[in-house]
Amino acid sequence: MKPSFPKQFIANTLALFSVWLVLSGKYDNFHLVLGFMASCGVAWLNTGFPNSPFHNFPWVRVVLYSPWLFLRIVESSLHLTKLILNPSLPIKPTLITYRSHLKHRGAIVLLGNSVTLTPGTITVEVNGNTFLVHAIDDTAAKDLTTGRMERKLAWVFQEDTNH
Amino acid sequence: MIDFFLFLLITLSFLILVYLYRVIQGPTVFDRVLGLAGISTKAIILGVVMGTVYDRVEMFVDISTGYALLNLVGAFAIAKFLEQRGTP
Amino acid sequence: MVVLAIGLILVGVFFLVVAAIGTLRLPDVFSRSHAVSLTDSLGAICVLGGLALYQGFGINMLKILVVLVLLILLNPVIAHATIRAAYRAGLKPQTKEDP
Repeated sequence: MKPSFPKQFIANTLALFSVWLVLSGKYDNFHLVLGFMASCGVAWLNTGFPNSPFHNFPWVRVVLYSPWLFLRIVESSLHLTKLILNPSLPIKPTLITYRSHLKHRGAIVLLGNSVTLTPGTITVEVNGNTFLVHAIDDTAAKDLTTGRMERKLAWVFQEDTNH
Repeated sequence: MIDFFLFLLITLSFLILVYLYRVIQGPTVFDRVLGLAGISTKAIILGVVMGTVYDRVEMFVDISTGYALLNLVGAFAIAKFLEQRGTP
Repeated sequence: MVVLAIGLILVGVFFLVVAAIGTLRLPDVFSRSHAVSLTDSLGAICVLGGLALYQGFGINMLKILVVLVLLILLNPVIAHATIRAAYRAGLKPQTKEDP
């Protein structure tokens, strides 16, 4: 299932145009036409490169993925808060090497970003598919090492998880 | 209601002072860069709160957006420079 | 609505204060970055979400949400750039074998 060039072009244009609508705040004809032309131009320049992270980007499923990520953030924030407010500061920092099996480059970007956004783990280095992750605790790293986040992202990008 | 927002502004300024201690005192130069990133996040939140106080949210939100983008470029420049210079 | 907004803002301020304490207490750069990340994700989400709720539904709420999404997208990138620079410049993080 590869969306054709016009379908991707329309999706990117609509995503850019909605940002324009929110940021501009003026809804007369002149500004609407100007914004539509600008988003068409930017989308036309940025569509059709197969190596780009935005190639076949699933906008809708990424929006569906964000509430799950928010729950993870709340959970690990509470864990980190307990660690910081504990008087004896029981942290055990470790460096973890993690090999991911995702193929889409946007998926790799999103995985690194989610790992850094979740408190307790931070991506130190990304080299191809290999992640070097600094975790403050074993409990904070469990989400990544058990592969939950990667399975969720594989669902977002519709890739097969059996590797 | 204005009292609550004044309380919020004072709390955020106090937090900026805490991060400023880290910027001045930090053992390595990367501590200072991290402290600056924390201060810029507080400044963005501060801008939106100011907009709520003055009832001009649409203007202050644009200022905050520009500040966030400039902060990204500045942090990248400092990080790239320090990365190529090696251990301080 | 206003009560909910004030509650969200107070929860966010609590997380911001915890993150500031974390930057003072944690031992090295790699651990401190976790505290800064805690600020950026949950504290900013709660405070800006509370301010957006206080504005009510409309264009102002959407604009504050745009700033929030921008913050969520850009702050991990800044933290990752700083930490990668620290790692490549030769700083080694403390591990649990150290006393």
